[in-house]
Amino acid sequence: MADDLPEQFDLIVIGTGFTESCIAAAASRVGKSVLHLDINDYYGNVWGSLGIEDLISLLAREAAPHSTLRNGSYHWHEQSAATPTSETEEMKVETGQVWTRETVLAMSRRFCIDLCPRVLYSAGELVQLLIKSNICRYTEFRAVDNVCMHQNGTIVSVPCSRSDIFNTKSLTIVEKRLLMKFMNACNDYGEDKCNEDTLAFRGRTFFDYLKAQRVTEKIASCVTQAIAMCGPDTSFEEGMLRTQRFLHSLGRYGNTPFLYPMYGCGEFPQSFCRQCAVYGGIYCLKRSVDDCSVDVNSNEVLISSAGTTFRAKHVVSAPRYLPASRDYVMRPHLSRGLFLSSTPLGNDVLNKGGGGVNILRLMDNEGAREAIFIQLSHYSGACPKGLYLFHLTTPAVSDDPAADLRIFTLQLFQYAEPEIIFSSYFTLTAQSQPDKGGADDIVYYTDAPSYEMDYYDAIANARHIFGKLYTDVEFLPRAPDVEEIVVDGEDPSALNEHSLPEDLRAQLQDMQQATEEMDIQD
Amino acid sequence: MAKTYDYLFKLLLIGDSGVGKTCILFRFSEDAFNTTFISTIGIDFKIRTIELDNKKIKLQIWDTAGQERFRTITTAYYRGAMGIMLVYDITQEKSFENIKNWIRNIEENASADVEKMLLGNKCELHDKRQVSKERGEQLAIEYGIKFMETSAKASINVEEAFLTLASDIKAKTEKRMEANNPPKGGHQLKTLDSRTKDSWLSRCSLL
Repeated sequence: MADDLPEQFDLIVIGTGFTESCIAAAASRVGKSVLHLDINDYYGNVWGSLGIEDLISLLAREAAPHSTLRNGSYHWHEQSAATPTSETEEMKVETGQVWTRETVLAMSRRFCIDLCPRVLYSAGELVQLLIKSNICRYTEFRAVDNVCMHQNGTIVSVPCSRSDIFNTKSLTIVEKRLLMKFMNACNDYGEDKCNEDTLAFRGRTFFDYLKAQRVTEKIASCVTQAIAMCGPDTSFEEGMLRTQRFLHSLGRYGNTPFLYPMYGCGEFPQSFCRQCAVYGGIYCLKRSVDDCSVDVNSNEVLISSAGTTFRAKHVVSAPRYLPASRDYVMRPHLSRGLFLSSTPLGNDVLNKGGGGVNILRLMDNEGAREAIFIQLSHYSGACPKGLYLFHLTTPAVSDDPAADLRIFTLQLFQYAEPEIIFSSYFTLTAQSQPDKGGADDIVYYTDAPSYEMDYYDAIANARHIFGKLYTDVEFLPRAPDVEEIVVDGEDPSALNEHSLPEDLRAQLQDMQQATEEMDIQD
Repeated sequence: MAKTYDYLFKLLLIGDSGVGKTCILFRFSEDAFNTTFISTIGIDFKIRTIELDNKKIKLQIWDTAGQERFRTITTAYYRGAMGIMLVYDITQEKSFENIKNWIRNIEENASADVEKMLLGNKCELHDKRQVSKERGEQLAIEYGIKFMETSAKASINVEEAFLTLASDIKAKTEKRMEANNPPKGGHQLKTLDSRTKDSWLSRCSLL
């Protein structure tokens, strides 16, 4: 490759996963020179979204040394004989397309299959970060249509907002009052730290608190399954925190407190990378790192890649991307199941207008293990119309993702058998001991994706590493809007107006405003 | 606030490094030409509102942010694009040959009905010309798209090119609106969202 790249950088970031990309954007944004490499030919690593062909080739081949994906398998399910034999064009329009392996593969690029799917709280950490940094200009969202729960053997939508609670038929009037009262109490929690009602529950479980509120069985399951998303061991404080996250995210964008990114979660790493590039970051995909060493004289890291040696003051890398990190033992971390279906899960109410974007939290009978189920319809942009993507994620307990998920797939598919066309399982691994930054705090390793809603852990990880690299610098300050960037003929400082210190920028803006007003007077 | 435009079109600039994409963008949006732009630092996209048949059309034109250099343009860049300007440099044979690769890239990532146009830029540099106008025209015919030679520096055809692309998209959009296809709904995060934590209570109810 005819590179003519600079060889000296402030920061080299290896791997384009969520956390690495976030750090790259943050560093570039505050004026650091950044080189961002990835061995894959796509963005995102295990945080990315793939077309179905790319997913299959990823699962089929032996895990590459840099990969944290293991135990991959996939299976095409034979279509049932119910497919009509002689169909006219008209029937095709009426019944929708007949989905087979061939027709699905022909649309491979219409799929955005998340290796690590997430939904976001509308007022959660990532949404706030995207708005604050103005990176939200690269993303679009679909409000999650239904937060679901199990009730008497069916899947029902949990009423989220006040009007939902009022309108729902699944609760009695008394139950509605109780639920409202409970939500009000949770909403007010924390305002008055000495509130005696809640003080007694410090250090106990959230279940204890729920019991004490004398709510009915139905309401308890609403709260534990969908709102607080907790188990029998969840502490009172943690349960309250999650309930509040839920409540504070209501009424912002849709009927539920959750958002799903249009075209999949792989859009997030790409958005951060774009922001990094806009501020001068250089991108090379399909670039492996062959060696990494430290120059003791200059205290720089030397990264050799495809015959070139780059120097950097700091290096941030995804686990396993650097040859030196490949000796670490990887343990199973997340077990993932993926299903492609031609029918949605649940009844018509949950799938208005051809299928919803729905989430459902599952628990085993003992309440010891849990999983998150996400259904994506074509409204999410992640699959073609008429198909549904089912994502299942659970913390791994073994090296067999299908076995880990069996109790949950049984729960899901016991009442309504969807028309599954394709299924797949794989494991995402993590380092057994999180590395504290090898090579004398010059190389930092990011964490593997954790089991969580939203991106709280990942953003905390990115902030932490960024904070170690650059003290007293703002993490992802707001990028100016286009209208604010003044490009004026020969004045080179204008190009970098946004890089000016706060006070000078204010001055500049005042001057501009004054000029505009003068124009009007003229 | 009342909407100040009738249509909003998202356009992309695509082509090899150094063909003058950013200069074309600045010529069109600012009517300025400056050779001192080393790269496209800090510039995401530019906006210009034009008027066609008494309709105000806001053009949002995105630049590659240097990610074309090693062919690392994100798939996200193509999302929602309604028109693409494919740009080559008439003094760089290679940039012309690469148009085929860029078109393949577009077919893989952009929506199938995206409107495309081919531009041979730097047409003021007669003595350095490597790609004849006829070859440009021929390639455009092959792909069934429109073609113009432009010069961002001498301000030749840049305005015309964008107006042509915009009017083609407008015609297509209006045709589709007549067919009455419902738009799909996505949420764009708004910066000015200062709701308080009590917001969920603000929904009306009789309880």
